[in-house]
Amino acid sequence: MMPSRKMLPLMVAGGVVTVIMGFVVIVLLISWFSNPPFGLGNAPTQPVAFPHTVHVAENNIQCEFCHRNVTKGAAATVPAVETCLFCHKDIDGRTVTAQTEIEKVRTAFETDTPIDWERVHRLPDHVRFIHESHIRYFTDETIPVKYGINGEEIIESPDVAQTCTICHGDVGNKTVVQPKTGQSLKMGTCVDCHRVNNIPTDCTICHK
Amino acid sequence: MKLTRRNFLAWAGLGAVGAVACEGFGIRDGELDIQSPVQLPEDLVRGNDNWYASLCRTCPSCEGIVIRVMEGRAKMVQGNPYYPTNQGKIHARCEAGLQALYHPDRIPTAMRRSGPRGSGEFLPVNWQPNGMDTLKDVLRANGSSSVMITAPLRGHMALLADRFATAIGGERLGFEAIDNNTYRAAVKSVFQQDSLPDFELENSKFILSFGADFLSTWVSPTRFNRGYGEFRQGEGRDRGMFYQVDSRFSMTAANADKWLPVRPGWEGYLALSLAQVIIAEDLQDDSVDVASFVGGDAGIQVLETFRPEVVAPLAGLTSEMTGGNPVEFLKNLARSFAANGPSIAIGGGSAGAQSNGLFNLEAIYALNFLVGSVGKKGGIRFNPPSPWADVPNSSTAGSLEDWTRVTEQIRSGQTKLLLLHGADPVHGLPDSLQLRDAIAQADDLFVVSFSPFLDDTSVMADLILPDRVSLEDWGDDISEPGPGYQIVGMQQPVVNPLSDLDPLSFPDVLLTMAQELGKDSDLPWNNYKAMLREGSDALFNLNRGSIEASSADEFWNNLLKRGGWWDELRNGPTSIRPADGLLRTIAGKAANPEFNGIAAGGDSLYLVPFAHNTLLDGYNGHLPWLQATPDPLSTVTWQTWVELNDTTADRLGVKEGDILRIESSKDSIRAVAYPTPAAPPDTVSVPFGQGRKHGSDYATDRPGNESSNVMDILETTQVQGTGSLAWAGTRVRVSKTGESVSIAKLEGDARAVEIGILPSEEIIKTIAPENA
Amino acid sequence: MVAQRINHKWGMVVDLDRCTGCQACVVACQAENNIPINVKSFYQQRRAYQWIRIERYWEGEFPNVKARFIPILCQHCENAPCEPVCPVFATYHNDEGMNVQIYNRCIGTRYCSVNCPYSVRMFNYWEPQWPDRLRNQLNPDVTIRTRGIMEKCSFCVQRLRRGEVNVERRGIEPLTGESIPPADRKLDQRRMKEGNYLPACVQSCPTNALQFADQHDDTSPVKEYFDEANEQIETREHGGHVDESHTRVYRLLEEIGTKPNVVYLKKVDAFPLEKA
Repeated sequence: MMPSRKMLPLMVAGGVVTVIMGFVVIVLLISWFSNPPFGLGNAPTQPVAFPHTVHVAENNIQCEFCHRNVTKGAAATVPAVETCLFCHKDIDGRTVTAQTEIEKVRTAFETDTPIDWERVHRLPDHVRFIHESHIRYFTDETIPVKYGINGEEIIESPDVAQTCTICHGDVGNKTVVQPKTGQSLKMGTCVDCHRVNNIPTDCTICHK
Repeated sequence: MKLTRRNFLAWAGLGAVGAVACEGFGIRDGELDIQSPVQLPEDLVRGNDNWYASLCRTCPSCEGIVIRVMEGRAKMVQGNPYYPTNQGKIHARCEAGLQALYHPDRIPTAMRRSGPRGSGEFLPVNWQPNGMDTLKDVLRANGSSSVMITAPLRGHMALLADRFATAIGGERLGFEAIDNNTYRAAVKSVFQQDSLPDFELENSKFILSFGADFLSTWVSPTRFNRGYGEFRQGEGRDRGMFYQVDSRFSMTAANADKWLPVRPGWEGYLALSLAQVIIAEDLQDDSVDVASFVGGDAGIQVLETFRPEVVAPLAGLTSEMTGGNPVEFLKNLARSFAANGPSIAIGGGSAGAQSNGLFNLEAIYALNFLVGSVGKKGGIRFNPPSPWADVPNSSTAGSLEDWTRVTEQIRSGQTKLLLLHGADPVHGLPDSLQLRDAIAQADDLFVVSFSPFLDDTSVMADLILPDRVSLEDWGDDISEPGPGYQIVGMQQPVVNPLSDLDPLSFPDVLLTMAQELGKDSDLPWNNYKAMLREGSDALFNLNRGSIEASSADEFWNNLLKRGGWWDELRNGPTSIRPADGLLRTIAGKAANPEFNGIAAGGDSLYLVPFAHNTLLDGYNGHLPWLQATPDPLSTVTWQTWVELNDTTADRLGVKEGDILRIESSKDSIRAVAYPTPAAPPDTVSVPFGQGRKHGSDYATDRPGNESSNVMDILETTQVQGTGSLAWAGTRVRVSKTGESVSIAKLEGDARAVEIGILPSEEIIKTIAPENA
Repeated sequence: MVAQRINHKWGMVVDLDRCTGCQACVVACQAENNIPINVKSFYQQRRAYQWIRIERYWEGEFPNVKARFIPILCQHCENAPCEPVCPVFATYHNDEGMNVQIYNRCIGTRYCSVNCPYSVRMFNYWEPQWPDRLRNQLNPDVTIRTRGIMEKCSFCVQRLRRGEVNVERRGIEPLTGESIPPADRKLDQRRMKEGNYLPACVQSCPTNALQFADQHDDTSPVKEYFDEANEQIETREHGGHVDESHTRVYRLLEEIGTKPNVVYLKKVDAFPLEKA
């Protein structure tokens, strides 16, 4: 059936609306499943190509040696240049690339300029996440049964490094750290974990 | 397509969805705005707060505070729970010290004047060599004809400034727009004390206050508020009774059980009439030797002339005000005051700011002897001398007499160097003194300002060397009034100045100058901290007081940690005998208040200015929180208002928000009308503190701000005997300008709720039987 | 750690006989809670942000005139009229007796503020602004509210959370700096006390007119006031009569049944004005 001339503009408008709505739906879907959307989730370029693999997986440096605030306060914090120099005063890299990168760190130390690391894991401003209390909970041996972020049972108390992997994934085996390496860090993830562990889920625990 | 209502809505809805969706794509800039941790010191634990003890410098009473510091930024000011005077409590003003620290209008670095004087045109210069060398040159050349004007100082800063002024051969004067000189003089002549006393309100049963707005601005409001709370509803005591005799309905009057509106300047007569009743009816405390106190029969005869029958009409008391015969009322008041000890008589504020202010205050404070509350629990407590022999425990300020002289010296070229720190005399002195013109026209004068902010005086400077603000600097204080025992408060820098600011500590600059000029024989310290440290060592060597330490270093650390040192066993004098014939001497000074300028009668009104609840005399004017804090009574913010009675307003045809011209014989100012039911019909009241001409946008009088300085119209009447400004001694005429604005006030914002009032007959019976 | 907590019900007592109207609480609240600077135009438009405000009521005419001060803040009602009208559950009652506003849920319908009988909910009509340097003062524990959402007194819940962390982790009393024995640090057994947690206004109040306490805490000095207020409610609910002439305890707008968690104590007036 041919649409009447009268209907035509309405149909065109309808078509436009459908296309736009479709676009909106697609965007919303992308936003939901990729966090954050449009390539923002890719690993940022760091000023120094720092490989966690060499430091953690090969040389067994503890997380809290560099992220030294993680067991004390809200933010894990990235290390100051001095911290790198503990070792890199003497240790040179095995490859030329590594040596260039280490040289960058030494130059930064000598010229007294901080290294502006790019933040990888980020929560919105209206969320107050405290690293310290989460680590304290998971490493507390007096709590018999704890559950991981996907509801899996954790019987033995993990150490600090194992606790980090619960949310951040196996960072120690990554050359480049990307967001979402471990968990998507959406509110649902937080609430699920709080629920299975029988932790308060009052809004004011995180939002204030 | 034809735009019908229906498809308009459809498109509009689609647009909204689009807008929401697009909003969802982006991440708000603010959320990414996180300070890079690599800029911070390595050993700093982020996200944890630290609290450092220090002192508040936004009130003259100087409370002990603790400051919350996170990641090198000060976040919050709270009361230091250990500090004896405020015990963890603060005034609204204390909080705003943070805004001075992070104020957008702070002067970033040293500056030289580049335009004509007073134009406000400055060019930044380097501290070294330009700033400091210029200062050295002018000090060397004109130090001996210099005047240093500072805030009223106590503690080591006073010692340092005085010694420096002496070393260069100049003079130092403390400046306070609303000075306490008359109050000090009264305390000196009645109680023979040099430092201000404390009022132990928490244990008092009856407070009789004349003109002192002690809950809001007068002397040490936080300490008095603390006592007042207990006075009302303290555990294990009856509710106290409180009368306020005041020519303005102040915040303190609003909290009194009874406000007695008195004609301005007659407070002293009222006090003497109460004394007369107490003596005539033999109601005085047992400790009082009446014959000696009054000065024999001659004294009694003099006192007779102050009978309530004589004074009540003079003070303008009507039966409406007193709910019956005013004479009977005064007699009953005297009886209650004498019978319900411990009772306190307090005088200050407008009662002392009249030509006869000294007489007023002396008469008021003498009442305390009659009821035996001098040096007693629940009465007046005196403070011991400073724990350091040479460090002043009490601040001094110049009087109007001094400022007239200084202005004259500037005009005549006798003063060649003016050093300014923490004082804005151009704003804080009556305009008729013409200090501004004197400075502007003095060609030989060099003005150095150490103010971290531009104000009406520092804008006249040739050289500005910005000081650090209190949260960045060292300091100390000997509380005045102290808590009745020896006390020292310590101020420490809790944060460093921000990187875009380059202030230098004023005391450090003075010490450096003394060294470079070779005049450091009395000032041997390299910096102010070293000077304070020596003071700390001296306290340690006293081997007493609140801080236990085994070494001088430990003592210093503990001193800073606790925010001060005090020794509860070193009390002030408790038994003070009145001078022979004290009451007769005082009565002999009785004088009527003088009002220069506009004559009484006709359409003239009394002008009773008052210190602003948060801005005080104006030196907090640049702090936006304090500008935005509603006045307790009028709830007006950000502007200058004039309180006048509803009936007066009706008579003049004035509505709220009308801009009025207030005119004295000197000048006129504009202010927004605020009619109230509480102002006496023959007075108008205007707050001090507003109306800067220069400086921070928050403080200045720009078009549309309706902010003006009541100092501009005050008569230069002096208080007899002290030479202070009698700021409540002006008569004015009020007229409409025809303009009107929307008044910036809190009142009327919200729906009304119910205020619970419990009429208390029992209390009337126990405390003031005659008024039941 | 964040384990289940002992059951709290927070409440405030406002003693009008102590309150002098000095405004210390108002400024303390603004400093703590990142409230935008109330510029002049906010007042002129009747849109000033004050989570706690001092209202002043005139009584009488010169010379027999009185001014009454009353601090008004969110009453944290048990039957809060703001809660059921929120279409997105941005405001709700938590299990600690607080009426909570969740900023990231709020979509700015303003229904709650219309429904609030105490006018204590503030709407952000503008993006909050501070001069750059003043932003250094902002409290990192409190979210800055953007334009278009509702805000109100939170009983300084951020201080409660920080207080809990301080007890559990650092084991120190925040006010006194004293050490808490390790066994006493677990909040499933330990009651948060005054000193672990006080809202900014209460801590600053120089006359102690504001007092804050856990209504379940038997050792609290203001417990009797909460108990009496609750008794009053019960009596009324059972149709009984409460004789108010001998007690100072009352709650604001009691008759509409909001059951506030803020209890007021009446001002005592030695010389009441004769009401016309």
